[in-house]
Amino acid sequence: MARGMVRETAVTPSREYERQLVGRAQADDRLASRELVELHKDRLFSFIWRMVRNHHDAEEICQEAFLKAFASLGTFSSEYRFSTWLFTIGYRVCLNHLRRKRALTGELDFTALPHDGDSALPGSVESEEAGRLKELVWSAVDRLSAPQRATLVLFYRHELSCHEMAQVLELPVATVKSHLHRARNRLRELLESVTEHELQEFRNRAGAAG
Amino acid sequence: MRCEQARQLFDAYLDGELSGALATELGAHRVKCPDCRRALALMEVSGHVIASDREPVALHGDFADRLLACTDSKSLRSRDRLRRGLYIAGLLAAAAVVALAFLGAFDRPAKFAGEKVETARPLAVPSPQEQSPEAGNRGASANEDLLEEWFKETQDNWAAKRQSGESLQRQFELTISQMLDILRQAKDTSPGADHFPGADGEVPASPPEPAPTDDEDVEDL
Repeated sequence: MARGMVRETAVTPSREYERQLVGRAQADDRLASRELVELHKDRLFSFIWRMVRNHHDAEEICQEAFLKAFASLGTFSSEYRFSTWLFTIGYRVCLNHLRRKRALTGELDFTALPHDGDSALPGSVESEEAGRLKELVWSAVDRLSAPQRATLVLFYRHELSCHEMAQVLELPVATVKSHLHRARNRLRELLESVTEHELQEFRNRAGAAG
Repeated sequence: MRCEQARQLFDAYLDGELSGALATELGAHRVKCPDCRRALALMEVSGHVIASDREPVALHGDFADRLLACTDSKSLRSRDRLRRGLYIAGLLAAAAVVALAFLGAFDRPAKFAGEKVETARPLAVPSPQEQSPEAGNRGASANEDLLEEWFKETQDNWAAKRQSGESLQRQFELTISQMLDILRQAKDTSPGADHFPGADGEVPASPPEPAPTDDEDVEDL
């Protein structure tokens, strides 16, 4: 799929305005801090939730990421976007959380976790096939490694370029491209193994209904 | 174009970076090859789902309020920690000065040995109840006076004990224990002692202690 389709619709402030906000927040301006939180919280939470798949954990990680960001706001370099810097912190906290969780529970299997809600739009009309396809895709995404999952979500959902992803994930651009390539192929393999069976079921049901 | 060549172009195609001629080649291959058509369709549709599927969960509405409350309590706690650190550092410095003074006393036995002291007097260290209110209010300067007075008396006592033959270790233990008593009293009368976090029963809404953030490279999880 070519990039540029439906994306997160959060308003992105201009760099100059963002720089001013950060400057004011550094000077303990509470309103500026609040505006920074309001501007970035939903996107950060969306990314983190896709990484950990648990509402409570995602909210805690999100909070920790903001607190760490505010605590070290003095070290922020305006060379980067605030959102990129914040996502970097959020991703690090995520990885620490996943490591701790893996240490406690062994290998992580996100597909075994209860989902926090139904991913279908409330009140929207969605065919059974489309709904099932979404389930299969997210279930396959959950089976990927953390960096692979992160690259897919950042690339498709948050519209980050490979260069921006490299900053967030603190990896070389070539490594990021490699993660993205492997993630797509792994996703295809996982989906191929299940969709044939699923499609056959749909065909049989459609035939029986017809 | 063979399937192998076509599959090498998938990423560039999905990133929207394929040039016109190669995109046409890939399109032609896609039309005639069901395997590549299916593989590419699966990649495209999964990208579309990831990009456009709505999140089933959202942050609570009061997230920003709670977060900013945490930042306030954190900065308050760090100020308290700094104040407490300075206070303790002051006490330790005073203790160090006293200890060094006694070490000096060890090196100058002749001065005390020559002094004539009849009996060992008990140390006149006032308890917190016996302390005058003025001394308590004077805070640090009152504590300095106390220490100075005690120091003088202790010098006399040491000389007396040396005469009476009490063991050096015993004398040192007694001295340290008295010194600690004085420091304890000084802490009790300190004006900042009541303002330590939690001293007044206030429990600030605080975030969980941040886990140490490693700067390790990303690893597969």
